[in-house]
Amino acid sequence: MPPLLEAKQLTKRYGDTLALDAVDFEVHEGVTGLLGPNGAGKSTSIKLFLGLLRPTSGSAELSGVRPYESISARARMGYMPEHDCLPTSTTATEFLTHMAQVSGLPAAQARTRAADTLRHVGLHEERYRSIGEYSTGMKQRVKLAQSIVHDPVIVLLDEPTAGLDPAGRDEMLELIQKIGKEFGISVVISTHLIGDVERICDRVILLEGGKVTQQGEVSSYTQETQTLYIEIDGKLDDLLAALAKRKVQATADGGIILIEQATDVDYDAIRDAIVEVDARLRRLAPGCGRLTDMFRSAPK
Amino acid sequence: MTTESRGELFDIGYRRYDGPREGLWRARQTLWTNGIRTALGIGRGMRAKILPLLLLIGVVGPAVITVIIASQSPEAARDALSPPTYYHLVSTFVMIFAAIVAPELICPDRRDRVLHLYLVRPIRPLDYILSRWAAFFAVMLFFVYIGQIIMFAGTLLASGDQWQYIKDYWLDVPKFMVAGLAIAAFYTTLSLAISSFTVRRAYASAFIVGVFIMGAASSGILTGCDESSFDVPEGTPVNCVPITGENGKWFALLDVARAPTHISNMVFDYEDESLTGIYVQDLPSAAPIGWYLLMVVVPGFILVRRYQRISL
Repeated sequence: MPPLLEAKQLTKRYGDTLALDAVDFEVHEGVTGLLGPNGAGKSTSIKLFLGLLRPTSGSAELSGVRPYESISARARMGYMPEHDCLPTSTTATEFLTHMAQVSGLPAAQARTRAADTLRHVGLHEERYRSIGEYSTGMKQRVKLAQSIVHDPVIVLLDEPTAGLDPAGRDEMLELIQKIGKEFGISVVISTHLIGDVERICDRVILLEGGKVTQQGEVSSYTQETQTLYIEIDGKLDDLLAALAKRKVQATADGGIILIEQATDVDYDAIRDAIVEVDARLRRLAPGCGRLTDMFRSAPK
Repeated sequence: MTTESRGELFDIGYRRYDGPREGLWRARQTLWTNGIRTALGIGRGMRAKILPLLLLIGVVGPAVITVIIASQSPEAARDALSPPTYYHLVSTFVMIFAAIVAPELICPDRRDRVLHLYLVRPIRPLDYILSRWAAFFAVMLFFVYIGQIIMFAGTLLASGDQWQYIKDYWLDVPKFMVAGLAIAAFYTTLSLAISSFTVRRAYASAFIVGVFIMGAASSGILTGCDESSFDVPEGTPVNCVPITGENGKWFALLDVARAPTHISNMVFDYEDESLTGIYVQDLPSAAPIGWYLLMVVVPGFILVRRYQRISL
């Protein structure tokens, strides 16, 4: 399957500042997280894919088309900015109809799409209220709705959960996941929140200092590791000695014993060692990776 | 006995859109239509409609009165209000309308940052601003033409011999159309260009009015009559020389708001008896034309450049 978005040696320089340094990455169908701290180059990447900026060198392509050379490519993209971007004196339904038309949809279809989209984001009952009267969460939903009202193939969301309370954040993430999984619209979320990526993304691209330092399936970072965690009540030193006697390399970290690269043979040795020291076993489990480990293992 | 309902509800879920996508022209047309609706207050509260209604009364009222006079005496009507004097009269109303309403078309889009959402759609900044310009230009044209059309049609019907009236005055139609174009293009371009410098409508309106007032005031001061130059006992303005000397007549052009009415005077071959009008008529014909073009082309260029350079 060809990628939807593709950055090839993508470089963007603002004067002396190098915002993106010859990055290569691909975005495929599904939900992709563009993760990185502030100033990592996330927003610059999005602007390059939207065709709002021209790369200094390299290319940013949507299905083989460079949006900065052909603005018609934008008809197949949606964008939700991080900041406020809504008119206050119009109703949500009027605004969405207008935006669908600006995206090229005829008037009748634009009206139908606006009503459908507002239903999908849970604002059907509120659609005739002025946007100025909406809560922050509702405004965020209108922002999301305007980004998909013209049924794009891909939607780029810039910090979609910024400014939301925990409940609002959960709802927004659910909605984004629904767009990516049920609506068939691929999603790129640009965020600095690892939790958001871990919860809803299939793939992650880690940007740091204008470079891609890691990219891959989120599951590959969060799957079980070969490190074994053993937690017992007391007798920590005795167990370490018993394990050493059985040639099992173990280290203590606080009240927990860690065994790196544990094999099936080690499990038998651990069982025997615990029986030998007569320790009460509280936990014996393989470790799980976290996305935060990406930052530790990323090349600097 | 009740019958069991057999109705069922289905969640049809998300439906992909596979209908037509009309591209750039649909986007431009949508922005144009939206601009016209905004300028006329359509789809908004009563407050937004007050100004367009007042302007409509302002431009139609004198025309209707002229038609009423024409129904009694066609010649008296023409003496009371001719096509060029009509433009002198309504230019002030049109100017006030432009100053208050033009900012409405572009300032809120930048203040609320809706412009960001437009520019990530398949339109360029130039398409956006030209659509807005075209929308306001269309509204201005409507207001400058409507009174002239009523006056011409009404006076024609009121005249005893319609055929003779057409033979005598048919040239009024192309003339008022050309002069109207000049007036509408001037106020549209200048007002929008000034509005492009701020996100606040009130500031833009104040600045537009300020430009016109300052222009009129500086022109008035610099072209004031040197009373010693009066060579006729009654001191008719025709014979007066500006206090800044003979070359001071050029300062009459500083009354920016009158730039399009000088063009209108030239189109109608009308002798403007106001002091500014007299001074400008004394200048070479190229002067008011060049000044007018400068007042339209430079703001137009600024407007386009400001939007072409916009960064999101």
